[in-house]
Amino acid sequence: MLDAALSSIAFPLLPIFFLAQEGTEAIGGFSMASLLNQTLNGIGIVGILLLTGLGLAITFGVMRIINLAHGEFIMLGAYVTFVMQDWFGMDLLLTIPFAFIVTAIIGGIVELTIIRRLYGRPLETLLATWGLSIVLQGVVKLIFTAQLKYVKSPAYLSGNVLLMSDASGSPLIAISYYRLFIVAIALALLALTIYLFYSTAWGREIRAVTQNRDMAKCLGVNTKLVDMGTFAYGCGLAGVAGAVISALKTVAPPMGQDYLVDAWMVVVTGGVDKLIGILAGSLLIGEANAIIAFILNDPTARVIVLAAVIVLIRYKPEGLFTVQKRS
Amino acid sequence: MSNEFAAQLSRRRFIQYGSLALGAGVVAACSGGSSPGGGSADLGENPIKVGVMYSTTGTIAIVEKSLQDATFLAIEQINTGTGPWEGRGEGIAGRKIQKVVVNPDSNWDLYNQMSKRLIDEDQVVCVLGCYTSASRKSVLPVFEEKDSLLYYPVYYEGNECSSNVFYTGAAPNQQITDSIPYCYDNFGPKGFFIGSDYIYPKESNRIAKAELEKAGGTVVGDEYAALGTTEFITIINKIKAAKPDFVLSNLVGDSIPAFYRQFKDAGITSKDIPIMAYPTTEEEIQAMGPEYSTGHYTSFNYFQTVDTPENKLFVEQFKEMFGGNRVTNGVMEAAYLQTFFMAQAMEQVLKEGGELNTATIREATRGQEFNAPQGKVKIDPENYHTYLHSRIGRWKEDGQADIVFSTDSAVKPIAWSQALYKGRVCVHPSPDDRSDPTKETGKDLTPVFL
Repeated sequence: MLDAALSSIAFPLLPIFFLAQEGTEAIGGFSMASLLNQTLNGIGIVGILLLTGLGLAITFGVMRIINLAHGEFIMLGAYVTFVMQDWFGMDLLLTIPFAFIVTAIIGGIVELTIIRRLYGRPLETLLATWGLSIVLQGVVKLIFTAQLKYVKSPAYLSGNVLLMSDASGSPLIAISYYRLFIVAIALALLALTIYLFYSTAWGREIRAVTQNRDMAKCLGVNTKLVDMGTFAYGCGLAGVAGAVISALKTVAPPMGQDYLVDAWMVVVTGGVDKLIGILAGSLLIGEANAIIAFILNDPTARVIVLAAVIVLIRYKPEGLFTVQKRS
Repeated sequence: MSNEFAAQLSRRRFIQYGSLALGAGVVAACSGGSSPGGGSADLGENPIKVGVMYSTTGTIAIVEKSLQDATFLAIEQINTGTGPWEGRGEGIAGRKIQKVVVNPDSNWDLYNQMSKRLIDEDQVVCVLGCYTSASRKSVLPVFEEKDSLLYYPVYYEGNECSSNVFYTGAAPNQQITDSIPYCYDNFGPKGFFIGSDYIYPKESNRIAKAELEKAGGTVVGDEYAALGTTEFITIINKIKAAKPDFVLSNLVGDSIPAFYRQFKDAGITSKDIPIMAYPTTEEEIQAMGPEYSTGHYTSFNYFQTVDTPENKLFVEQFKEMFGGNRVTNGVMEAAYLQTFFMAQAMEQVLKEGGELNTATIREATRGQEFNAPQGKVKIDPENYHTYLHSRIGRWKEDGQADIVFSTDSAVKPIAWSQALYKGRVCVHPSPDDRSDPTKETGKDLTPVFL
């Protein structure tokens, strides 16, 4: 099954390999080392995809809420970091818990006032969260204006890991500490989330509620509380993502839109049932993007990867990693 | 799944959604609509209606809002007789400016619709506005068909010459022509060109490529990123692999801070590979943090550090009106100075006893001079572009530019890129009968200064 899925991705990518060979001659100095460097640096893209997709893996993957406001929770996290730095001069790392708490609280309020009334009605949820994303952008713009905001990255995370040297002694491979830090945070959060979902009573309740809401209710699970908690947790993770990437990217009201599409691609590709699927999804999309963009160019890579994901969904709508279920 | 959707979308629900969507549309249209007056100030008798068309929502709002701010400052100064308008009385020959403000929501089609509405319904005498080339291309047919006037404050790729637009930002020869030889002389012959994936950066890089090849250099890479992209690891790796002497950046908007940050984060300093940029201004430097831009370069007509008494006043008054932490930049300065070009032209028409319409204002605007913050500037009477100073700034630790190159006076604009269209110029007849102004001289044009 997995092989079939992979070949369905590989098939549309075939022309690239031919193009790549032409490209090799054209660029000339296009060496294996720089491709290896790019592949390793692709991990940096993977880390950001994983981090920004993790919240959605919970709100959509677990709770099945079509959450188009996911990008705005990332944006809110980035603004919390901005405010904490600007007002209290905090270090970026210290602002991360605040980003989690604030976005989780806002997520909880959103669940209580909007999402709660729309369970089992995907179309309405889609409209409501889309509207919510416009409202959140507007509110942030009213408070902070449309100007780009400056977030200071911690000095101790600047610099690069250097590996291998060429003849002249300059390093062939360089990976920035900050990118590695993003990967580490993303993996730690993924591990924590998996632990919470599969090894704690709360996780068991969440899974019970999503699998059979009525039965869970009959057995005395407070489904409303579980729903709110889960949604708030998913939003909080988006907030952490926003806080961490704010130092590497741009902080502005529409910033979330950039991550929304990528997050959806990652979650859908990886498979919506298993949390671990998101790791596979972000690896696949991140590396595919990095390598194709290096051989061809960035806009083309985006088109090819998006097309590949569409083909994948056509043949494997449940994503790559799913449990076989009886329907 | 689809059955569920269908069942839910009963007729009644459909009507509910339909009316909801309609309602939302109406609300959006109203909030994006025009607001005549725009301020509480008393505009007195018979005000002059002027359209102000900048997006204050959507992706381009980041830039266009600051252009709107600069325009509002100029209109405020004209209406109160302060700043550069000191001594000319309140308003233009006694008549105040009534700004009709529209917000096209960063949507190119809306620019087209709203310019129609400004001209037909609000009956404005002219419009100040637009930022991207895409929006200008969207409204150009409207202004030409209805024979109205647009003042456009942005450096752009050139190769356009309309009887209905006054271009007050840099033409290619006022930004690219000086900066490329500067890069060649100071950094080396190999340039790596990057840009956002749309008309301005591609055209601009095409012209720059021709200039670099003319100087004897080569372009070792030419890469574009989707508009709004903030992930640059791939482009940066390609830059590392190509080992250029300098990078020429035509990235715009939110991409700029992300690129400079990741460039430094990848371990490349401005000593290794300096970046020469056109759209990177004080505003973006403030957003990325000066530690990322120190030692890189921008070519522009104006920097906040330009040392003129007019600029001192402009920066002071801008901060007073919009907050002490704000910075000014070249595009804002152009939006500011073009409002005075318009006001001076209108004053001239009114003082000569004429009536304010497209033909009179157009003829009066030709050749107007103004002591702008960047220095003395003038509208070229032949091609409707503006004599501007050509400068190169090197960014310092405080986020301000150290001006390392400047022409002594303003340079005559050349609408057509001479690297691509040798000898092609634009000369509007006087008075302008709106015939085709393009002329082929077939000769190399020498720089002309004011």
